[in-house]
Amino acid sequence: MTFEILIPTYDNNVEPLTTADRLDTLAGKTIGIVSNGKLGTAPFFDEVERVLRHDYGVTSVVRTIKTDYSAPADAETVNAAQHWHALIAGIGD
Amino acid sequence: MLTKGRSRFLSIDTSTSNVHMATTPASTRRRIEFTDIGDMQEHFHNSGWTDGLPVVPPTPDAVQACLDAALLSAEHLVGIEPVRERAISAEQIAINSVMAGCLPEHFPVVVTALTAMLSEPFLLHGPTASTGGCGILLVVNGPIRNELGMSGSFNALASSDRATTCIGRAVRLVLGNLLDVRPGEIDRSTLGHPGKLSFCIAEDEEHSPWSSLAEERLGDPHVSAVTAMAAMAPRQIMNEWTTDPAEILDTFVAEIKANMAHYSVWAGNYAIVVPPQLRDHFAVAGWSKADIQTYVFEHARMRRSDWAACGKASIVGDQPDREYLALPDPDHLLVIAAGGPAGGFGAVIPPWLGTRSHAVTTPVGACVDC
Repeated sequence: MTFEILIPTYDNNVEPLTTADRLDTLAGKTIGIVSNGKLGTAPFFDEVERVLRHDYGVTSVVRTIKTDYSAPADAETVNAAQHWHALIAGIGD
Repeated sequence: MLTKGRSRFLSIDTSTSNVHMATTPASTRRRIEFTDIGDMQEHFHNSGWTDGLPVVPPTPDAVQACLDAALLSAEHLVGIEPVRERAISAEQIAINSVMAGCLPEHFPVVVTALTAMLSEPFLLHGPTASTGGCGILLVVNGPIRNELGMSGSFNALASSDRATTCIGRAVRLVLGNLLDVRPGEIDRSTLGHPGKLSFCIAEDEEHSPWSSLAEERLGDPHVSAVTAMAAMAPRQIMNEWTTDPAEILDTFVAEIKANMAHYSVWAGNYAIVVPPQLRDHFAVAGWSKADIQTYVFEHARMRRSDWAACGKASIVGDQPDREYLALPDPDHLLVIAAGGPAGGFGAVIPPWLGTRSHAVTTPVGACVDC
């Protein structure tokens, strides 16, 4: 006997994520770092910032912290990110 | 609006292991055809569509029966999860409800639960993604409990009856299959807890001296409603050595304070479950739910210095006397009458993470677009 079932997963059109275009160089660029606000991100991103500046010539690093680590970044951060060349988002517990 | 597309039939021939595919005229959902229930179960498990337990086949007729019971069209939009930007339809929920073992009459409660969870104050993404590992507690009130054979008595916080067990499970399957809330995917829980299989209870309104949770939160004594709360595992307490309401609540408060010190200090919705043996003492003393809420609000507090006693001396800092409240206000305490008749037991159900997610109460059958 044959029976038919309906597939239970989300099947609406979901556009696949694509990677951003690679920067030709980090030198002279503005990089944003968005922390989810947890303690573990601070020292890690401190080191990331140091490496970006010292090793890759990044001239400006903008450090931001989400106001709610369980929700998307607020509009202010999203708007600011439009002026960055690249963004690093990270979580820490 | 869901897009419709062509469906493909996949026929699995167990004797030859051949896979036969065919296309049919356009239909609303992707479908698979099976000739063997065992093959279907294995396919579901291998596809990551279950919680590890067998599922009821979500046939078109069974799914339609759920939609008919709730008077909903397949395309009815129940809500949108804003982080994933996913529109959740009645049909999608119905498919997972059938899988969970829900009967058609259970489905309106599942829809109501998801409506509450998809509302903005609930912040669904947070509780379902967090490393904190919370589940989602559902509390059902009103006449629908009796219509569905729900029990708020024995084993209230576990598998007390078919309806609460299946409804709680349906919600979890929806989260997994429609929002990818699966361990290691969206769900980053370190530990989780057993309520993440099913965590639905019915309040024992008929044997309670108090107004129901839904009446407290909605102001209507006759409404059937579901309250959803992002919740950690229940913490059982016992006090059979007093009949004084304040002393009984001191035991609940001690458990709340322990949660604050051991897990999370942030204020939010706490739930306490009060079975009959303790409830009777409150009734004799004339304590209402409001009296209980006020008492717990005033007493469930800790200071930073308390952390020194539980291995967290390093975070006491330079403000040892800074006080933290478990509840932002008395109304944040959900007092639930439930549990079997014997034993001076109670339970504290802590929030996921304080004020990030708020408990939401939604009437069954409410039209949020009206």
